[in-house]
Amino acid sequence: MVVVDADFDELRRLTGHDEKGDEELKSDLFALGLEYEGETEDGEAQLEFAPDRLDRLSVEGIARSLRYQYGEDRGVYVPRTNAPDWRYEVADSVPAERPYVTGAVARGVDLDEGVLDSLIQLQEKLHATMGRDRVKGAIGIHDLVMLKGGTAGSADNAISYRGVGPEEDTFVPLDSDAELTPGDVLAEHPTGRDYAPIVAEYERLPAIYDDLGLFSFPPVINGRRTELTVDSTDLLIELTGTDQWTIDRMCAILCYALAARGARIEEVTVSYPDRELTRPDLSVGTKRVTHERVETVLGVDFDPETVIDLAERSGLDAEVTERDDDAGSGPGSDGEVDPNADGTGVREGTGVVYEVSIPPYRQDVLGPLDVIDDLGRAYGFNDLEPRYPDVSTVGGRHERSRLERALRNTLVGLGFEDLLNFHLIAETANYDRMGLSSPDAAEDLDAEDVGKADDVNADHCLGALAPARIREPYSEDYEIVRTWALPSLMTVLGNNTHRAYPQDLAEIGLAAGRDERENTGLVEFRTVGAVLARTDASYEAAKTRLTALCRAFGVEAATPPTDHPSFIDGRAAEVVLDGTSAGVIGEIHPEVLVEHDLEVPVAAFEFRLGALR
Amino acid sequence: MQLPEAQLAALEAASATEEKTIAQLAAETDERPATLTGAAFDLADHGLLAITERDEETLALTEEGETYHDEGLPELRLYRAAREAGATDDPVGMGEVIGASGLDGRTVDIALSNFARKGYGRIDSGKLFAEPDVDPEGDRETAALAAVATGDASEIDASVLDRLVERGLVARSQATERAVTLTDDGITALMEGVEVADSVGRLTPEMLTSGEWRDVEFREYNVEADADRTNGGRVHVLRETAERVKDVLVGMGFEEMDGPHADAEFWINDALFMPQDHPARTHWDQFALAEPAEIDDLPDELVERVREAHLEGVGEDGEGYHSPWTEEVARGMDLRGHTTSLSMRYLSGEAVGELSPPERCFSVEKVYRNDTLDATHLLEFFQIEGWVMAEDLSVRDLMGTFTEFYERFGITDIEFKPHYNPYTEPSFELFGTHPVTGELIEIGNSGLFRDEVLRPLGVECDVMAWGLALERLAMLTIGAEDIRDLHGTLVDIDFLRNAEVTY
Repeated sequence: MVVVDADFDELRRLTGHDEKGDEELKSDLFALGLEYEGETEDGEAQLEFAPDRLDRLSVEGIARSLRYQYGEDRGVYVPRTNAPDWRYEVADSVPAERPYVTGAVARGVDLDEGVLDSLIQLQEKLHATMGRDRVKGAIGIHDLVMLKGGTAGSADNAISYRGVGPEEDTFVPLDSDAELTPGDVLAEHPTGRDYAPIVAEYERLPAIYDDLGLFSFPPVINGRRTELTVDSTDLLIELTGTDQWTIDRMCAILCYALAARGARIEEVTVSYPDRELTRPDLSVGTKRVTHERVETVLGVDFDPETVIDLAERSGLDAEVTERDDDAGSGPGSDGEVDPNADGTGVREGTGVVYEVSIPPYRQDVLGPLDVIDDLGRAYGFNDLEPRYPDVSTVGGRHERSRLERALRNTLVGLGFEDLLNFHLIAETANYDRMGLSSPDAAEDLDAEDVGKADDVNADHCLGALAPARIREPYSEDYEIVRTWALPSLMTVLGNNTHRAYPQDLAEIGLAAGRDERENTGLVEFRTVGAVLARTDASYEAAKTRLTALCRAFGVEAATPPTDHPSFIDGRAAEVVLDGTSAGVIGEIHPEVLVEHDLEVPVAAFEFRLGALR
Repeated sequence: MQLPEAQLAALEAASATEEKTIAQLAAETDERPATLTGAAFDLADHGLLAITERDEETLALTEEGETYHDEGLPELRLYRAAREAGATDDPVGMGEVIGASGLDGRTVDIALSNFARKGYGRIDSGKLFAEPDVDPEGDRETAALAAVATGDASEIDASVLDRLVERGLVARSQATERAVTLTDDGITALMEGVEVADSVGRLTPEMLTSGEWRDVEFREYNVEADADRTNGGRVHVLRETAERVKDVLVGMGFEEMDGPHADAEFWINDALFMPQDHPARTHWDQFALAEPAEIDDLPDELVERVREAHLEGVGEDGEGYHSPWTEEVARGMDLRGHTTSLSMRYLSGEAVGELSPPERCFSVEKVYRNDTLDATHLLEFFQIEGWVMAEDLSVRDLMGTFTEFYERFGITDIEFKPHYNPYTEPSFELFGTHPVTGELIEIGNSGLFRDEVLRPLGVECDVMAWGLALERLAMLTIGAEDIRDLHGTLVDIDFLRNAEVTY
């Protein structure tokens, strides 16, 4: 979600609706999908919305959407542009990682504090969204009066986008008084340090020059010479980035916002070594949308005039391009008589295809569904009557989920409290605190350590599988996926020593371990863990319950002795279910109990759920 | 009147004029003190006896106290040894005195500190000087130890006693002594005559087989008295809610899905048409795995179709993302941030083979988000995921389906707020009214899957989908305020024991 600060008075002025109260505006904005979140210190409204309509990242853009909603504007509007006076020359030396540039000139802007703030906000929000924190696209806006082009005999004014070495030149960046090299800016300037990672791998640094020298160091910082003030009236906009389409769309959004403030947009010529572009790109795109799809998706029958009207109210234009009279009455039709059908049996609109015009600030319209969504919003989704779809299917549960439920009921019947623990756990909790040693990181793993996951006691004891590890975990409490459930249950016991005993707990849950034979490199399984924490907890008490539930599932249980560091020697056994080693049972070792601050004995068992199948 | 044997014995032994302790009653009857106590309380309940209680302090020597009582206090043993060594005249080396006293270990420290405290002498530069005027036989602590040993502590000065308790030589303990007297009703009852009731406490197998049960009278219980507390086993309250959700969905014709928790980003994000440079795809929002780092195999043709959708879009005038797309990123392993990865596996045919419409599927399974743990956010939670695949679905069908689902949980009047998701269009956030607080809260996210999602998967019809957090639904339906009470190792067992059953 993105948040934009907007002044309600500005909205009233820009929409021409002085009579609208704050509450009315809030409700109009909510209808557009903009939620009022509160006020800034300066009393501006904070409006939150999903990051699809990036043209609404400014008060000007929000006002435009409101004007369409109010019916003040209809259809596609494209600001007029004047012929180019400035040329952006792209030098061969431009950094290969950031080869693209675009821009525009805007003249006659009346930049009061409010407009300037809105422009800066729009620039920052575009950086944060489409610009991917300036990596994909970065904007520089300059006071044109401070720029000098047109010397060296060329016919037009020119600036040049090129690559420079870190110490090749100097300029005075914003928020500084000193002549710095680009290298100095990255090392010393606060903004420079923030954005240094973007250009860290660049061989040459991006730089923009006019006749007087270096004035912009995209995507890091502008020079002070061309800084905007409230007295600036003519602006030069440049955007550099890793993708031409992206920076062109960002530029279009800026131009629309400035045009709404009365600016005259002037084209610029972008000269790449191999081609020449005229920018800003304010060309209108088109999408073909069938009438049938509009009706199916919205579940409402329309006549084409209504569809065209809804499009225009959304700031789009729609035109009927095709009328295929055969469609809809052919063999594909279900033959139902439609209430809206006319006498011929073919409904109005059947077979109609619209060509829908998309204004250049709409970077979010990728396909026909995006257009239909706009039509639905203009129609009012909440005016649609819900209906239960006439679609018949047969439901059912997954076998694993049925088995889990059956076992859970059996465990509860045996007196266990069913628990639900996190699958993520600290490595020390999973291994060390249970008396196991943590497996080494993967580089040391050999085939011995992984790939034995289905025979739980084969080479190592239950729980000793190598884990799935989180990359860069925030919290050391959650750094791996647990390889067994007993550590979670022991932790719960440790956190509940102030609660009444006995505490007989069980959990059926996920555990996982590395297994090279799996496509994902990980074997995931449900494991069944149970603990009896009580003064009379004993191996026998645990085995009584294990045997009872095995009997309930018709599974033969054997318990040959085994060694496991979590359990007392001589009081631990392998759980062998129908001849397959599936887990472990025993009395928890006093060292493990003390480690969990427990003052009662604990008997426990754990085995793979799958062994009960 | 009929009374059980023990009660009759207690009543008869009691006197109206003289208080008798339980111990005295026990001496006069054949009953054990515990039985008599119970009998006395029962009689008091019937108003036949009056019970008075006195808290008595009893004193006893500790093990250490016993030792000193036998061998003498360490400081006195030190003083006597010092005197014998002539330390009343000239200071004598400490080692010599201690050796002569026979003290060792910690008793040496005890002797030295109390020696100085009681003014028996001084220690200076390793030499010990004993005061000549001390009478070792007059030590008050020694006398007090002897008095406690004989059980006659009444004469001991309170400060001396406190000191001995402090030194750990005497232990104090509290005991309640109960004494009974006959009440007027008790006297009346005795005068009217009391018989031993032939009543029994417990019905035994022998009584049943012998037929004796016909002749006995069953002792009345106080049926209003509190019983012992037991907890029993219970299904976890959140599981209960999950089961209920599953019941509802199965009833609505949904089939349950199952699949990996750790999966390739391809299934989690790319198949969902999430651009690879989308801000939510950084490790700040999702759990990437360092090990295992990459999936082995992805279906080649599907990967190619998804790549194309990202770069070129879908359809004749489709538009892609203008973002870089590499298979390397798609192969990266994550813990799934949503169970929509399962939906992708099912819709693509990867999970259970090609599906043909109509089809309804659901899952109620764990998802993982790199979030800050607090009262409403967990790193792991259950997502309810559901979708319907059919020809020609509309947003009205979507609204109807979800209205039906939420009504089963008492949530009516759902509002559909148009929303944006990269993978659905149109998309709606679902808002519902909290059944208790009346607050409007977000209860889910939904939409029709985009062509850019479905066409690469090979799905030519429509699919509508929605998701919501089970915990959110549970908080609504069971009123939990802190999600951490419900889920995870910080759980309070009592919360689970006391949670109200949901069904």
